[in-house]
Amino acid sequence: MLEPLTLSLQERLIGVIGLNGSGKTSFARLINGLTAPSQGHVRLDGLDTVADAEALMGRVGYIFQNPANQIIMPIVAEDMEFGLRNREPDKTARMEKVAATLNALEIAHLGARRAHELSGGELQLAALAAMLVTDPDLIIFDEPTSQLDIRNRRLMERAMAALPQQRIVISHDLALIEDFERVLLFHDGRLLADATPAIAIAHYQEIAG
Amino acid sequence: MRTLYAEGTGPFYRLPVRAKLLLLATLGVALFLTRSPFVLAAGPILGALVYFTLGLPFGLAARRLRPVFLTIIIVAAFSFLVSEAEEAVLQLLRLTTLMLFAATVTATTTISAFIDEITRLCRPLDRLGLMRADDIGLAFGLVVRFVPEIMTRYEAIRDAHRARGLKIRPITMIMPLILLTLRETDQIAAAIDARGLRGHSITTK
Amino acid sequence: MSTRGLVLVSLFAAVIVALGLLPPITLGFIPVPITAQTLGVMLAGLVLGAKRGVLSVALVLLLVIVGLPVLSGGRGGLAVFAGPTVGYLVGWLPAVFVTGLIAERIVRGRQGAITQTGCFFAAAVLGCILVLYALGTLGVMLVTGLPLIKALSGALAFIPGDLVKAGVAATVARAVQAGYPLLPIRGR
Repeated sequence: MLEPLTLSLQERLIGVIGLNGSGKTSFARLINGLTAPSQGHVRLDGLDTVADAEALMGRVGYIFQNPANQIIMPIVAEDMEFGLRNREPDKTARMEKVAATLNALEIAHLGARRAHELSGGELQLAALAAMLVTDPDLIIFDEPTSQLDIRNRRLMERAMAALPQQRIVISHDLALIEDFERVLLFHDGRLLADATPAIAIAHYQEIAG
Repeated sequence: MRTLYAEGTGPFYRLPVRAKLLLLATLGVALFLTRSPFVLAAGPILGALVYFTLGLPFGLAARRLRPVFLTIIIVAAFSFLVSEAEEAVLQLLRLTTLMLFAATVTATTTISAFIDEITRLCRPLDRLGLMRADDIGLAFGLVVRFVPEIMTRYEAIRDAHRARGLKIRPITMIMPLILLTLRETDQIAAAIDARGLRGHSITTK
Repeated sequence: MSTRGLVLVSLFAAVIVALGLLPPITLGFIPVPITAQTLGVMLAGLVLGAKRGVLSVALVLLLVIVGLPVLSGGRGGLAVFAGPTVGYLVGWLPAVFVTGLIAERIVRGRQGAITQTGCFFAAAVLGCILVLYALGTLGVMLVTGLPLIKALSGALAFIPGDLVKAGVAATVARAVQAGYPLLPIRGR
């Protein structure tokens, strides 16, 4: 449960930090509409996440911590194509969009691969591709690199940095958010700090002991 | 992956799925209403002609039918010995014919063609609000996606048991396998909902 | 159906398929090696309950129909429904429904371990042995014209193995109920 808060998130790069169980994920899930607020409203571009949920479909991407559980079809390209069924009735157009998105992320070689055979890093990139096919305006990353090894972490960071969309990144890996414009620090369900990365991280290090 | 579809061309490949299934059903009924051994004898011959000329190498085509054909033969032999001989022969002819034509439908129909047809058949239920027709394709994909993960999980459990010197017994293996698999549910469901894969967004508390 | 429900049904169907891919187990006192797949079917009813259990098993049958070799021994496709034992396959659906229904009714949260295992065992036997064999035998009778006793006699050899399976299923189901309760019961 989160304490009541009122925020306006206009910056392009926003970090969210805090200990496990501090409310970071609860907060993130309010933004993309996975959870409805018990009080008040969450609005994106003037649209309410509950009342206008359908209009917001596909506009907020969400990348989870566990790479494997985000790809739900056996083959990467199939998974990406499935995400477009509701918005593009023509199969050729869907396949073109899939190919274009894979190319943009430089992972065209992963399109025909079976998800089961991919490494964690490749799966996270595939999950990112699956999110990007719907051309989201905002992407939330919930601990995107914590289950990856160092090399895959760098790959993912590079891919994330190249994205034009607004990003909200929850991360234990402070290096990921230290260049951001704004960082929110959660603790015990409360927003403890809302400031520049340097200040928020300093607070974090205090409470982390 | 592993599929029983076999690439090829020919009349059976061009027939729509619905037509093939209807023909097969009609054939089944016709076979069980026929009592003439001579008419029925033509069945397996025609069936074999059709099935074995589809393009599959003979050995492979035959091997696929072996388990079913074995049960057909064994039960027919059993019938022959303990019950009426004539009925046993008719039974053998009927089932063998059905088996061959059923295998032909399977070999000439792609999985996605089947799934599309079943989804289409469920659209009326969709409109009535009883189910989401597109969930079938999603459920299907989920199963094929996660079977190899479960097998890998099984091997990990087995290796962990061996390392600890524990005996491999069904109970000690299957219990963690099921628990660990079920525990992935929430993460997978969250990913599906976050991507809006089921049409309307689902908000959970 | 909630997304979580859909995923549960699909994951359990994947478990049933995976159990069919494992090598059969030979127990000393039973002549026929037993496959773990029907164990999975029993568990679908015991762990998920009647409704989701049936959906899970129906999904497995759908995979068979569509042409995937997911039945133990790599069997699949429409041809498997052309055999005399078709009743044992289609019969999975009512069998798992009955198993689930009984489990939902008689299993209680506050039972002792032995009682609860016993309840699961009863549900497994009544549904996935009694009902299944009844339908399987009916199938054999319809397809082959054999009379009841003769149709049944061929199946008797498999009953001891299935009783062992029911015992294993009951033990596993109780442990799963303790670790990740899904069965819709009263008194949790």
